[in-house]
Amino acid sequence: MYKAVSGSPLLLEIGVETMYDIIVIGAGPAGLAAASTAAREGLHVLVIDEYMKPGGRLLGQLYQESNGNWWNGLEESVKLNEQAVNEGVKIILQTVVYDIERQDSSWIIYTENIVYTSKQLLLATGAAESPVPLPGWTLPGVMSVGAAQVMTNVHRVKPGDKGMIIGVNVLSAAIAMELQLAGIDVVAMALPPLNQLTHQHSRPKEVMEALLHASHLAPSKFLRIGSKFMTNPFMRQLGIRLYPKSGISMWGIPIQLRKAVTEIYGTNQVEGVIIRTIDINGSPVSGTEESIACDFVCIAGGLYPLAELAGVADCPFYYVDELGGYVPIHNEKMETPIEGLYVAGNITGIEGAKIAISQGVVAGYSMAIASGKQGLVENLQDSIKKVHETRKQAAIRFHPKVDIGRNIIHKQWEARQVPSTNDATII
Amino acid sequence: MDEKEIIVCRCEEVTLSELELTAATYNCSARELKLRTRAGMGFCGGRTCRTMIEAFGIDKREKNRNQVTLKYQAPVRPVPFGKLGGKTP
Repeated sequence: MYKAVSGSPLLLEIGVETMYDIIVIGAGPAGLAAASTAAREGLHVLVIDEYMKPGGRLLGQLYQESNGNWWNGLEESVKLNEQAVNEGVKIILQTVVYDIERQDSSWIIYTENIVYTSKQLLLATGAAESPVPLPGWTLPGVMSVGAAQVMTNVHRVKPGDKGMIIGVNVLSAAIAMELQLAGIDVVAMALPPLNQLTHQHSRPKEVMEALLHASHLAPSKFLRIGSKFMTNPFMRQLGIRLYPKSGISMWGIPIQLRKAVTEIYGTNQVEGVIIRTIDINGSPVSGTEESIACDFVCIAGGLYPLAELAGVADCPFYYVDELGGYVPIHNEKMETPIEGLYVAGNITGIEGAKIAISQGVVAGYSMAIASGKQGLVENLQDSIKKVHETRKQAAIRFHPKVDIGRNIIHKQWEARQVPSTNDATII
Repeated sequence: MDEKEIIVCRCEEVTLSELELTAATYNCSARELKLRTRAGMGFCGGRTCRTMIEAFGIDKREKNRNQVTLKYQAPVRPVPFGKLGGKTP
């Protein structure tokens, strides 16, 4: 029994702050954009984040866009934070929200030392990385590819001198390049071994298909020219059969789609990996083992929406592969079926930071309207249009069929609307 | 290294082969798999291995798409007992 009832001696002892109009959990691109938008309309907004810096996963991003400009997440985070602070948003960092509860048409937000309350709540908690299990993955020196990105780009600490990346996808390819830029030697990228938990990351054909949608990122002519041919399924089969055994180099890093790391070895920490040639279905070819020395290993198993708090709030979910996993059901206004609960950013599906920002603006207007602010309906409609435009122009697509995924969730929302009005008339 | 010894849940030291065997023996859902093996029930609350345990239920997803296979419960992050009880340590 840790949950306190409002007005109980327990709550008074921990300390309760005055009621906010809006609390945003997550100070990433979606959360900060939403907070700024709502605060600009005169609302009292608090943002809570568990990390020590505002910006979320945007902090680590660094890549060159097709127009030649660099997208520097660190700088973008500073801008978003300054904007929010200038609008009067209060931002609390290094604070973990461990529970939320709806009571008497307001939200109770539990953190370690203070219990906060608000009328509206936005969950902008982003995404988390899926691990990929293989022998030796628990050795010190093995980390998720996102952890290597944070160490390098945010903390400016080298994760090691020579690294191997297991898992070839849009995110790991972008981070490989970032490590290279920081002067860290990336020996190679290869696939994880095939087992019951890794199949979609371990079959060369599936990996190749996913990569083709990011082919404009690849300086290799093979991949670029290839992507046009590869729209034909027969050519895809052929392409992966003809894929050079030595890999294709991208930014000087060999990308091995026909090799899998079958083991990470080392006594007290990572000393190297065992790599084997695989057939087009991902099965290892015997007698092809080689050992590659390295002092760190990054595992790239992809991202999934981090929606724990939506689960705690009893928000309904729907599983959508195209969005990265279980997603809280929501509409285009970023409302969930739970009254006063909103979502924005990667919690609604894995996409880029620019889309998260545009979704945050939508959520900001939705919450402002729900708080009784007048004359914002047009702003809301425009901001929803902006989300669609931003998605069309996105430089990085984490899933090629993200539009289909979005439609699945919106259909789920619509399907729920009919019974809920009936319930209301019965009452 | 023996491939059977791949750890999936570090907190409770549950291996991939143990999960595969349990899933095959009882034809169980991700939730039942968790309860039978304790995978995902350790100190971190399944924050590392959750998606791996869920993946075992993937074939059953078609009818269970609207149901999260492993429930989320508070506290969603580790909190000292003293803080939960409202006492400062």
